[in-house]
Amino acid sequence: MKVVVRRIISCFIVVIFLLSPGCLSSDGSTESDSNDSDIELTVWHSFAAESKEQATFESRIEVFMSSNPGVEVKISAIPYPEADQQFMIAAQGGEAPDIVRLSSDQLGKIGDIRVGGQPLLEDLRYHLTPIERSKFDPRALNAMKYEGELLGIPASQDCLSLLFNPILFDAAGVDYPDESWSLDDMLLAASTLTSGDVNGLALPVKDAYWWFGFQAGFGGSLFDQNGTPTLNSNGSSDSMDWMLDLELKHGVVQTGTNIESMKTQFLSSKAAMIIDGPWNWVTYEAGRIPLQQTVLPIVSDTGERVAPLVTYKGWSVSKQSLNKEWSTKLALFLSSSEVQKEFAIETYTMPTHIELYDDSDISDNIVISGFLEQLMQGTPAPTTRAMALVYDPLGTAFENVYTGEMTSSEALFLANQALESDLEGI
Amino acid sequence: MKRAFIAILSFILLLPIYQASEISTLEADGDVGYRQVELIWSTDSPTQEGTIFQIWMSNETIIETINATMHSQVTVGNTSGLIQPEIGEWYDDCTYNFGDGKWIPVYRDLDGTAVVPSETIGVNCTLTGIPPGIEIYLAVMVINPSNESILSPSISSSSTSSDEEIIVIETSPYIFAIGSIALSVIILLFILRWMDYREGKTTSRFAHIYIAPAILALSVLTFYPVLYGIWLSFTNADQSYLGDQSIIGIENFITVISTSGFFRVTGFTLLWSIVNVAAHIGFGLLLAMALNSNDLRGRSAYRTALLLPWAIPSYISVLVWRGLYEPAGALNDFLGTDLNLLADPNGARIVVILVNIWLGIPFMMMSISGALQALPKDMYEAAEVDGINKFSRFFYLTLPNLKSALVPLSLLGFIWTFNMFNVIYLMTDGGPNLDFDGPGSTDILITYVYDVAFREGAYGVAAAWSVVIFLMLVVFSWTYMKKTNATEAVT
Repeated sequence: MKVVVRRIISCFIVVIFLLSPGCLSSDGSTESDSNDSDIELTVWHSFAAESKEQATFESRIEVFMSSNPGVEVKISAIPYPEADQQFMIAAQGGEAPDIVRLSSDQLGKIGDIRVGGQPLLEDLRYHLTPIERSKFDPRALNAMKYEGELLGIPASQDCLSLLFNPILFDAAGVDYPDESWSLDDMLLAASTLTSGDVNGLALPVKDAYWWFGFQAGFGGSLFDQNGTPTLNSNGSSDSMDWMLDLELKHGVVQTGTNIESMKTQFLSSKAAMIIDGPWNWVTYEAGRIPLQQTVLPIVSDTGERVAPLVTYKGWSVSKQSLNKEWSTKLALFLSSSEVQKEFAIETYTMPTHIELYDDSDISDNIVISGFLEQLMQGTPAPTTRAMALVYDPLGTAFENVYTGEMTSSEALFLANQALESDLEGI
Repeated sequence: MKRAFIAILSFILLLPIYQASEISTLEADGDVGYRQVELIWSTDSPTQEGTIFQIWMSNETIIETINATMHSQVTVGNTSGLIQPEIGEWYDDCTYNFGDGKWIPVYRDLDGTAVVPSETIGVNCTLTGIPPGIEIYLAVMVINPSNESILSPSISSSSTSSDEEIIVIETSPYIFAIGSIALSVIILLFILRWMDYREGKTTSRFAHIYIAPAILALSVLTFYPVLYGIWLSFTNADQSYLGDQSIIGIENFITVISTSGFFRVTGFTLLWSIVNVAAHIGFGLLLAMALNSNDLRGRSAYRTALLLPWAIPSYISVLVWRGLYEPAGALNDFLGTDLNLLADPNGARIVVILVNIWLGIPFMMMSISGALQALPKDMYEAAEVDGINKFSRFFYLTLPNLKSALVPLSLLGFIWTFNMFNVIYLMTDGGPNLDFDGPGSTDILITYVYDVAFREGAYGVAAAWSVVIFLMLVVFSWTYMKKTNATEAVT
């Protein structure tokens, strides 16, 4: 009898033990902002490990905490290309950080995502006063908007530009590039500079991000005013051919150059010119490459300048944050003119604060002012779901043209069809 | 005298035209939305072009603007050519009226400042960025075209609307399901224990308790995810609306079958698995026999060297291999060529298979080597005495005796290789991709499922792909075991 009772009790305990977690669910209620004394904010950034950006960011976080005693900020690093994906997964598990650093195209990817019917990011329109908002470049602010909602506070912007190694130019007796250059001038110079194991130009010829600027210069566009894909234009196919021919026909770009190898080529003085962004300037400087920068050339046929895609990065507040007020304060602080100025001077991160455009420390810095000039010539990337989806079909189009399976017109026609089909499926 | 009279008269007549506007009414409503307060004001006279309304806020009564923060401003000016966003389209909403009670959305200039036309009497702005739940004071300063500033008395308000309720992901169903599975297993074990007891199998008294932890772990870590995956494959689960999925029948399986590259990716997965497993076993057997030879000196050194591919983390060795095959890599340097194998569909397929063969040989070599050492020596001595040559000894003695090891090894090898993710992901990421609506040239089923799940976010379709892979492997394993009598061979 005792044995039977013991078994019944053990069974009962096991049942309670196993079922209790399921019954102890959260009631789903919202907690209000806590007192300043016990506020803890988690921030996900995507600065490279042990980089100057990370050091600058961490020092600013220390400043914020010391000026706001009682607010503790916990920071975590995530890889930039996976920031949106990781944030989505965390949010789906109810574990999203309070603040996350996302780019405008990443906002386009997650703007539509819903968890339990709720968006993942807070609409910051209601958190900012018009005066706070007016301090930012309207283009940058607009890039942080997704379908009318302000999903981030812009903290930086960047785009590609033309960098060159003056020593290699001097050795080959070629004049330095300047803003009057056309693409023909660039190709001629690249051909002259290509000799032995040195290539005239380094750029990943199959990468859509590098192509966008050329596409715009040749008169093509990604979307029309209604957001309908327009990849299959003459300008698009001409620019694709021109870019691939740099490797396949003219041989001024080394075979199979990708984003990693182009950096290595330039760092080892195996490439005289490179089309790259400000984010690598510090690396090249550290590699003692005597580099200079100028704006991208003009397309002779159209008279238009190559207009690289301008992308923006900013600080977004999670919809799941229990401290939205403080999260917004921190996001505003990290996007403030003081912090942006420090980032610009220390790491060549291009600011989005209007007052910094006229700041003497910024305008006197030839690197920052040079890239700012290039930014003004660029095309802001649309913050849409379509923009996030454009890379896949374009990558396939490039592969088909590169391997000779299709002409650029055929490939772009199919890419456009595929993109339209993807958009219909949303 | 007459001139002086005319001048005074003119001044008196013109005085109303240049009369500075003042705020006549100021109202605030804090119940319009989270961190928002609605502020409505009107002037005692129609405003003139050049007038500016500045909205100030503070934690205390505003007597001077020195202790307040400017919130926003509205200018009275020429509105032609300016945009006029509808309510809800702009960052914040403002409307104006001419005293007729008809509210019209304001215009916006290039920097986003609200602009209203002259003659405006009333303005209604929903102020954003107001600290929630705190009493704040608001005042409007009118700066007239003559630069005369008149500050209105301040009005207190508080943004009383609370934030949207956060929907916490309901995880209890999942925990409940896991708990139920675990409970079912425990009950099953109790029943089995009771049946054994009833049949008088007293020696197995604690057997069920001993296997309980393993069964529990299996049920939570294996059975539950598999069952959940199967359920997911019949839903429209997608990253865009996770948590709101519903059952859609076999639609996902139709999507899988109708994917343009379904047969191509399945074919390459089979080719990849068969070639790899055959090469692993072939080379593994060859090397194991060589290492098992008594004539070979320094066997331990060779064995250690051959284990290196297995000892190095695979992602490092795969990345090294990728570097070797890249156009600027060592292969081209060595051959003096300009090959770009990874950009060519067939070249990339050959390369990924070669790298995986290199990675898989050590395991097979070690496993077969162990089996070889277990073979009875006297069998070979008898064969040697009988004058059997090495070739015949291998085919008639070694191979049949190794069957008990080779059959399960090849089955395991096939399953592992079929689901080998990292080599292809790191070498080519499935590319080069020449198909606009399907897998890349070097994609196998498992790498393509990753793309479907984590790049496209189609969780339901990815689950259907996983179920298809699972079924393929179950059918293959079952047939293979039946054909080879694998289980009997092991026992």
